[in-house]
Order: sequence, then structure tokens, then C-alpha cells
Amino acid sequence: MEDNFAIRIENITKIYKGSAEPALRNISLAVPQNEIFGLLGPNGAGKTTTINILCGFLKFNSGEVYINNLSVEKDLNKIKRIVGLVPQDIALYNTLSAWENLRFIGNMYGLKGNKLKARINECLNMLGLEKSRNRQIKTYSGGMKRRINLIAGILHEPKILFLDEPTVGIDVQSRKVILDYLHELNKKGTTIIYTSHYLEEAENLCSSIAIIDNGEIITQGNPGEMIESEEEYTDLESIFIHLTGRSLRDN
Amino acid sequence: MLRFSTSVYKEILILIRDKAGIAILFIMPMVLVFVMTLIQDSTFRKLEETSLMVLFLDEDQDSLGMAVENGLMNSGFINIKKTYEGKLLDRETIIQLVTKGKYQIGIIIPASATGTIRNKAEYLIEQAFSDVDSITEEENLQFEPAKVILYFDPVIKYSFRKSVRITLEKFIYGIESKITFDIFTDEISRYIPSDNNLKFDPTGSIIIEERYIKDKYNEMVPNSVQHNIPAWTVFAMFFIIIPLTGNIIKERESGSILRLKLMPGSDLIVMSAKILVYLLVCFIQFVLMLLVGIVFLPMLGLPVLELGPHILALIIIAIATALSATGYGIMLGTIATTHEQAASFGSVSIIILAAIGGIWVPIFIMPDIMQKISIISPLNWGLEGFYSIFLRGGGIRDILPYAGLLVGFCILTMFLAFQYQRFHKKF
Repeated sequence: MEDNFAIRIENITKIYKGSAEPALRNISLAVPQNEIFGLLGPNGAGKTTTINILCGFLKFNSGEVYINNLSVEKDLNKIKRIVGLVPQDIALYNTLSAWENLRFIGNMYGLKGNKLKARINECLNMLGLEKSRNRQIKTYSGGMKRRINLIAGILHEPKILFLDEPTVGIDVQSRKVILDYLHELNKKGTTIIYTSHYLEEAENLCSSIAIIDNGEIITQGNPGEMIESEEEYTDLESIFIHLTGRSLRDN
Repeated sequence: MLRFSTSVYKEILILIRDKAGIAILFIMPMVLVFVMTLIQDSTFRKLEETSLMVLFLDEDQDSLGMAVENGLMNSGFINIKKTYEGKLLDRETIIQLVTKGKYQIGIIIPASATGTIRNKAEYLIEQAFSDVDSITEEENLQFEPAKVILYFDPVIKYSFRKSVRITLEKFIYGIESKITFDIFTDEISRYIPSDNNLKFDPTGSIIIEERYIKDKYNEMVPNSVQHNIPAWTVFAMFFIIIPLTGNIIKERESGSILRLKLMPGSDLIVMSAKILVYLLVCFIQFVLMLLVGIVFLPMLGLPVLELGPHILALIIIAIATALSATGYGIMLGTIATTHEQAASFGSVSIIILAAIGGIWVPIFIMPDIMQKISIISPLNWGLEGFYSIFLRGGGIRDILPYAGLLVGFCILTMFLAFQYQRFHKKF
């Protein structure tokens, strides 16, 4: 069945080996094309498990997952060409320079020659890293690492971009540059799936969100509309606390 | 091809920027081969080429004492010491010095040892020329043997102890034969007077000649270099598992593997590039260690490493060993979850496989059970392959079974790594 959803998750359940409790409990989710979709939840809620399933890294016990109408189980190789990932860790080679890392990643996606050089230069300029292109990643500051990590995920111009906590632990300036760039990408047609603990950031960035807890989607919709519909809550954080409770999540 | 070449380039860049890794991969193995060959050189030299100080007390002061003293002094591998701190040695001092480990061996020739030999020889010859048919047991008992005493420090190896004892026995039997011969000729001359006196000839009628197995092209004389270079080369090649497992785990810990997994068809390409680069590393290690044997060790007076005529066979067994080591490294890197696990298990397992594989102790002197176990060690297959070329002058046909086992081990370990990753979905 063809539709206009970038992502469609239907009744997914995931139980890790040796675990009695499911990490995901029969969740369903649909993200339209060209959205910036925030998947929010406390630690251990099931955000990373969901992202890993969407990227094809994890098998699931039941349900179906489609990306651009392609089945994650059957069409993973086609899906790999249209998605990008910015993991929470700085998934780069520390002893290689930014340029060497990006050239390797570009080549792996089949990009080469002047086209690749132009694309790397464009991304480095956009995120303010052009002067540091020849420095090894291990010499970068936290903010610079986050920015180069983002570039590595979008170098091949994916249609759908997964971002797992892309702004964690960085200064305000770097965060602003990253968020502005994500808006730019979205304007150019990239669907963004984003997880974060920064609810204010999600409120401003996302066109729609889902709050997940204990492996279940507990609410879903436009963040502005959510706040307006709940008179007693003035921001996303208060709604989040209301829905997920105040107990600590250490696991 | 672009993906493969860029992956190879990436691996090379990572490798050459890891200075500690480079040291482990290239410098440490060279140092290891260098040191081990030098140390073990002495075990391959003739015993006569080594020198040992021995405490010597001659209470006999007769033919036997003198013969043993002269024999030991002329043996070339023993220097005798008859005094300590300006005083002549006595039994008590010898025991004390050997007990304290100041000297490793003490020899005491007892008083009247020569007399005992002489008396017995005279009696036997007298009996031979008398009318009595045989010597009774009772009569024989009166010639109680004189005891030459050897004191050994417990640190002395059995083989060395045995060599000293055999050398001593040779001198004793020699002098015993001479005394018996002299008495016998005296006795004969009493019955058959002659101007032609018989003389004792200490040289034997039979000599032993050592020959090494050789092929039709050349003869390779085993020496410390021919033995040690292949042994420690195999050992060092397997140590690539430390940087290789580190590389795999680092890629997993940094999350880079996630990014690689999301790239179309990259799994096999990235792994193949890694295998190629580490094969190259092993091969460079191999060439460097051959250089140690051909260029550096001879500078210190050791023999030059002879490569033999079968260079292609040498390359094949080197590549097969490298493949085997790489496969093992990839399997460990996949299964281990931390650097500590990989490094400790990796290095200990290589040491165990080296020990049972005959790298340290030749397999033929191992107990039966260990000899059977040794055939499961890939280091043993590599070592036997190299020995076939370096020591037995073998060619391609001789090394193929070992190369086959090594390549088979590589395929098995990579298959296990792949299955483990698939089963655990571990990134």
C-alpha cells in the first residue's frame, strides 16, 4: 500500500533476549514526509531501540516497519541509500582529520571526485568547520565534534535523517548552528527523526512529537497544539512530567 | 572498487597514526626475534663451546685423578678450580660452595680410586691365568667400587648434568681400560717374552659421524637462527591480534560501526579491507624478521639465515600464517566486549597456543598427551611449514598441508565471527 509517510511503524514489539519485559510494546507510529519528528521519552523508554529498528540494526519480534514504503525487513539495502544517521556517540575516526573522515564516508556512499569535494566544502562551510578541516578529530572541541558528526550523517543527502541526541553536551553557539542547519535541511525536503532530552529544543524544532515511556507511545501530535489543549500546562516539559511521572529512570 | 580502496586507505591511515600499535606490530617482534635468537643461540652451540667452572678435589693423587683432571681441562667446556680463597679445596668447602650456589658442580676423586682399579684388574687377570674356572661372588665383593662423587647445584639442567657425567665416565673408563691393558700386557710378557711391547691406543675403532637431512639442492645445518627466526616470526605474526582486536572494538565503541552498517553493502567491504591491511602488516613483519636473520644477527656473530631455494613456498606459508592470525584476530575482536578482554585473552591464548605449538619447547620432547594436543595449534602448523623450508629444504608440496590447515583455520574463525555477530546483532 503506497502512502505519503516517510516512516510507518505498525504494532512493533521488541523483547531483548534474557529480558522479561518488552522494550517496545506493540507500538504504532506514522511520520509524514518532510516532518521534523521528535521521539521523546525518559531514559530506557525505548527511543534508541526504535531508532535501531528503523535503521535495521535490530530485529523485532512482531509488527512491520516501512521507510518510504520500503520494508525494513525486505528492502534494507534500498533503505540504506535514502537514510542517514547521526548517532549519539561521535562515530568518527579520532586519528583521521575531518576531511579524511568525510572523504571516506562520501566514498562509501559512492561519491567521489569534485562532486564529493564540493559537497564536503559546502557542509564544512555551513557548519563553520572549514578552517579545521585538516585537524584530527581528537583535537576538536565537543561542539566541533557534534557538528562534524552531523555532517557525516548528511553528506550523502539522505531523504530521511535519524538524529539521536545531536546536541547533547555542547555550548549554545554550536547548538544554534546545528538546529539552524537542521531547519535548512528540512526546508530542502529532508524528513528528520530526532530524539532528545532537551524538551524546549524539541518544542521549537519539531513539527510533531511522540512521547514514549516503558516501550509504549503515550501521546503523539503537534507540540504547540498539545500545549494549547492542556490548559494547566504551559510547556512541553510540564506535559512530559505529567505523562511520564517524576520517578528517576536509572536503567 | 572505490569503497574497497577507500576502506584500505582509511585502515592504513589509522594504523600509521597509532604509534603504539606500530611499535607492537613492527618493532617489538624484531626485538623479540633478536633477543630470543641471541639467548637461545647457546643451546644450539656444541657443549664444548660453552664454559663452566667446576670445583675439583683429587684425593686419589694417582693415574685416575690425573687423567680426569687433564681430561676435564682439555675438554674445552669445563674449567677446573682446585683452590678457594687461597686454600686448597676440601670436601666440606666443596659441599658448602655448591650448596650456596656459588659454583654449580663439584667433583671429588676419592683416595685410592686408582688403587681399586689396579687391584681389581690384577686380581681378574691373575684369575684368568690361574687354574680356577671362575671368580666366586664372594671374591668379587671384596672389590667394592671407589665412588667418584659429583655435587650438583639443583639449578643445573638434567641434560647438562648428564653431559658432565658422561664426559667423566669416558675418562674413568679410559683410564680403567688403560690400567687393565697395562697389567694384562705385563702378565702376557711374563709368559711370552717379546721385544715388541704392546701399547695402549686410546682412540676407538668406531667413530660417530653426524649428518643432517638434506635435499638435492642444498644442505641446511640447523643453528639458532634457522630455528628461532621461523619460531618467533610465527609467534610475532599472531600478535597482530592485539592491534586488530583493538581496531575492531574501537570502531564498535565509537559508534563508527553503526554508521558503517548503515552504508549500503559496506560490511564485507570494510572487513575485507581490514583483512588486506593486516595481511600486509603480517607480511611486512615477516620480511623485517627475515632481515633480522639475514642482516642484523650475523653482525653479532650469529649464522646468516638461509632462505633456501623455495622462495615461493616461503611466501605461501607466510601468507597462510598471516591469514590464520588475521582470522583469529577478527574472531576475538568480534566476540570480546572490551579492550581489556581482547588484550588479556588474546595475548594469553597466543602464549598458550605457542607453548603447545612447539614455539618454546620442541614438540618431540613433550609428553605424549601434549604432543597430541600440539597438532591443534595453528602456530604449530605455521612453525612446521617454516621448518619444512628452513630446516628440511622442503618446497611447495611439503608446505601445502600446513598452508591448507592455516587457511582453513582462517575461514573457520571468520565464519564463527560472522555467525556470532549475526546471532548477537552486536555493534
